[in-house]
Amino acid sequence: MRPVPRRGLLRGALAAGTAGALAGPAAATGPHGPGPHRPSAPRFHGPHQAAVLTPPARATAFTSFDVTAADRRELAGLLRTLTDRARFLTTGGTPDPTGITAPPPDSGLLGPDVPADGGLAVTLSVGASLFDDRYGLAGRAPRLLRTMPVFPDDDPDPAWCHGDLAVQLCADSPDTVLHALRDLTRHTRGALQIRWRINGHTAPPRPSGAPRNLFGFKDGTSGPDPRDARLMDRLVWTGPDSGEPPWAAGGSYQVVRLIRMLTEFWDRVPLSEQERVIGRSRDTGAPLDGARETDAPRYAHDPTGEVTPLDSHIRLAHPRTPGSEAHRLLRRSYTYDRGTDSNGTLDQGLLFCCYQRDPVRQFTAVQKRLAGEPLTDYVTPFGGGYFFALPGVRDRADWYGRALLA
Amino acid sequence: MRRSRGVRPPRRRAAAVTATAAAVGGALLALAGCGAAAPRTPAAGDSVDASPHRCGHGWRHPRPGTHTFALHNTSGTVTEIQLTDPRTGAVLGEAEGIAPGAVRTMRARLGAGRYAFVCFGEDADPVTGPAVRIPGRTAAGGTGPAAVPLTAHDLIPPTLDYQQWVTTRMTRLASATDALRAAVRAGDIPAARTRWLTAHLAYARLGAAYDAFGDAGEAVDRTTAGLPRGPRDSGFTGFHRVEYGLWHHERPTTLLPAADRLARDVRALRTAWAGTRMDPADLGRRAHEILEDTLRAELTGRTDYGSGSGLATTRAHVDATRAVLDRLRPFLRTRYPGLPALDRRLGRLARTLDAHARAHHGGWTPPARLGRTERARIDAAVGDLTERLASVAALCDVRRTP
Repeated sequence: MRPVPRRGLLRGALAAGTAGALAGPAAATGPHGPGPHRPSAPRFHGPHQAAVLTPPARATAFTSFDVTAADRRELAGLLRTLTDRARFLTTGGTPDPTGITAPPPDSGLLGPDVPADGGLAVTLSVGASLFDDRYGLAGRAPRLLRTMPVFPDDDPDPAWCHGDLAVQLCADSPDTVLHALRDLTRHTRGALQIRWRINGHTAPPRPSGAPRNLFGFKDGTSGPDPRDARLMDRLVWTGPDSGEPPWAAGGSYQVVRLIRMLTEFWDRVPLSEQERVIGRSRDTGAPLDGARETDAPRYAHDPTGEVTPLDSHIRLAHPRTPGSEAHRLLRRSYTYDRGTDSNGTLDQGLLFCCYQRDPVRQFTAVQKRLAGEPLTDYVTPFGGGYFFALPGVRDRADWYGRALLA
Repeated sequence: MRRSRGVRPPRRRAAAVTATAAAVGGALLALAGCGAAAPRTPAAGDSVDASPHRCGHGWRHPRPGTHTFALHNTSGTVTEIQLTDPRTGAVLGEAEGIAPGAVRTMRARLGAGRYAFVCFGEDADPVTGPAVRIPGRTAAGGTGPAAVPLTAHDLIPPTLDYQQWVTTRMTRLASATDALRAAVRAGDIPAARTRWLTAHLAYARLGAAYDAFGDAGEAVDRTTAGLPRGPRDSGFTGFHRVEYGLWHHERPTTLLPAADRLARDVRALRTAWAGTRMDPADLGRRAHEILEDTLRAELTGRTDYGSGSGLATTRAHVDATRAVLDRLRPFLRTRYPGLPALDRRLGRLARTLDAHARAHHGGWTPPARLGRTERARIDAAVGDLTERLASVAALCDVRRTP
C-alpha cells in the first residue's frame, strides 16, 4: 500500500471543504470534542475504535464472519490485513497499481482514488466462538463474552446468529460502505467467510431531533452523552479495573440484535395505542407528560402509569430510577430493509446495536425489564450476536488484536 | 451450460473504445482538479504520447512514486502502449486499443531506475521511446509489481500440449458416457447413477468452465437456465438432463433417449474439439475460471439436479485447474511469486475434499447439507483460490513485446 501522508495535513485540507456538508452538528463533534476541521470520519488510530462513540452514520453494513484461518499464524495475518485495509479505507489514498500482474487493485466504486472524506468507519469485534480451541485463545476471552442467549420473546434463525468475528462499516453513503466491504472480503478471502450480513441506514431528522424508526417514532432521544469521557469510561469502555484481561482494555461489549418490525400491523394500530406502547408522542417525540422531545419524563408524578403506562417501552427501558442509571447503554442502531417475506409482508426492522462495559449489568438487565412488554406484539428479534469490540489500533505499528495474540 | 465468456470484452480488439476513452478523459480532468487541492493525489499526470512516431514523449516529471500517465494517441491509427523496464523487459503497466485522438490513463508505481514506453501501432514494428531515469539509489526500491509479458509464441506450445491432453481424456469420457447409456438401457438405475457420476467427473476434469467447449459443450453440460419449460423443456440435454431423470424416477421411455443423446453429444464434442485450435490466450483464463464456476454453480447447488455431487465436481475442478496450471508453471515460476502459496492452497483444498469423501465412504454430501464449519472452510478455500488464480490469468494474457 502506498503510504498515506500525515493525516493532520490531509484532514485539515479536506475538512475545510466538507465539514459543513456532514450529517449535522452531532457528526461534526467527534469523540474528542468539537473542532473546526473535523471530518465526518473519526480518526483511525486511538485507544478505542472510533465509530463506537460517533453517532450512527447514514449507511451501514454489519457483517458477521466465520474465521476459516487454518491456525494462529494465519489468524494473525488476517488481523494484520484487516488493520491495513481498514486504515487505508478510512484514511483514503491511491490504490497501489498492479500493472499486468493482477486484476485492478480496487473495485473502482469510488473512482480512481479512495476519498478520505467518505465518512467511513470500521468497527471490528469478536465473538465468543473465536476463543475455542482452534487458535489457542481459550482462556483469553473477555471476561463477560458469551454466546447470545435466546430471550423469551426471541424467534432466532440460526443462519442469522452469532459469528467468530464481525465488521461493521459505517459511512455517509451506501457506495462507500459497499466499496469497503468488497475490499475487505477480497483481501481476506480464505481466512474469513461471511456468515450473515445486513445493511442498514439512518433517516434524517423528520423534521428535527432524533431520527424516526420504522414505527414513525423518534428513536434515540434519550441516551448517555458520548462526549462525556468519564461517563463513557463508566458505561462503555472496558478498563483495567473491570477485571478484564489486560489486552481487552479500551474495548467494549457490543450487542447486536436483528429485530423484525411488523410495520404493516403497526400501521393498523390506533395512534393512542401506539403512543402508549412506546411512551412518547409520535408527532413531537415528547414524553407523554411533556411537550418537547428533550423533556425528561417525570415518572415519580405518575406512579400508576396513568399517563405513561408502566409497561411502555421507554419507561421499562430507562425507568430513570436511581439504580437504573448503571444499566444505561450506548445505542447505535440502524433501520434495515431487506425486501419482503414469503407472503408479501414487508421484511424490515431494526439493526439494534449497543455498546456497554458489562453486557449482563446493562443489556441483559434492560432486556429482562422489557420482557413481555406490549411492543413485543409488533417486533420479533430473529438474529444478531454478542461481540466484543476490540481496543483501538494505536498507531501504524499496531494491529487489531495484537495484544490478544501476543 | 456455462455463461459465455463473451460478456468479457475481447482483449485484443480496438473497436468501440472511443466512447470509453472519452469518459476516461473526463475523469482525468477531475483528477487533475483534485490533485491541485490535495497534493498527495498522484501527480496530475504527465501527458505521454502513445503514438509510434512520438512514443513516450511528454514524460517531463520523472520522480519516485505513483504516476498517473495520460496516454494520448496522436496518431491516426489504433495503438497500444506499455511501460517497461528496458533492462529486464518487465512491463509495469499497459493500455490497449487506444483509438486515434483518445486519451487513456495508466498508473504505475516507480522507484529509482530506468524506464521506457513501448508503442505498438497496427501492423507495425514496436517503437521504444526514450529511456527515462528516475534518480535514487536502490534499483527496484518502491517499484510496483511488474512481469515480463508472455507472447503467443510462448503460449502456443503449452496450449497445444494441453489441447492434446484434453483430446486423450475425451476418449475416456466417451467410453464413460457409453457405459452410462448401457446401464440406462439395462434399466439398472443404481449402476446408472454410479456411471453417471464417473462420466460427469471425467467431463469436469477437462475444465469445461465458461463456455470452454462452445455449443458442443453446452449440449453436454447445460442447466435449465434459459429454457422456458425448465427440466421438461425439450432443449434440456446433457449430463444434468440425465441426472434429473436418474434421481427423479423418470421412466425409461424418456430417460433412455436423454442418455442416448448425451452419448451422441459427447462424441460430437470430441469431433468438434479435434477440429478446434485453442486460443493460447485461453490457457490462463481457463486456470482462473474453472474454480469461478465451482464457486458460482457447484458450491451453491445451482448445478445439482439430484445427485448431490457438487463436492465431487469441486474436487474434479481442482484437478482440472492443476492440469492447466501445470502447463503454465514454467512461466509462472519467474513471474508469479505467489505460486508456491497457490500450490499449497490447492493441495489443502484437495485434502479437505478427499478427507470428506473418506469420512463418507466415498459418498458426497450436497454443499447445502454440510455442517456450517465444513461448508465455510470449503467455500473459503475455493474463494481464496479464485483470488490467486485471477493473477495467473492476468499474467498469462497474450501480449506483444518489442
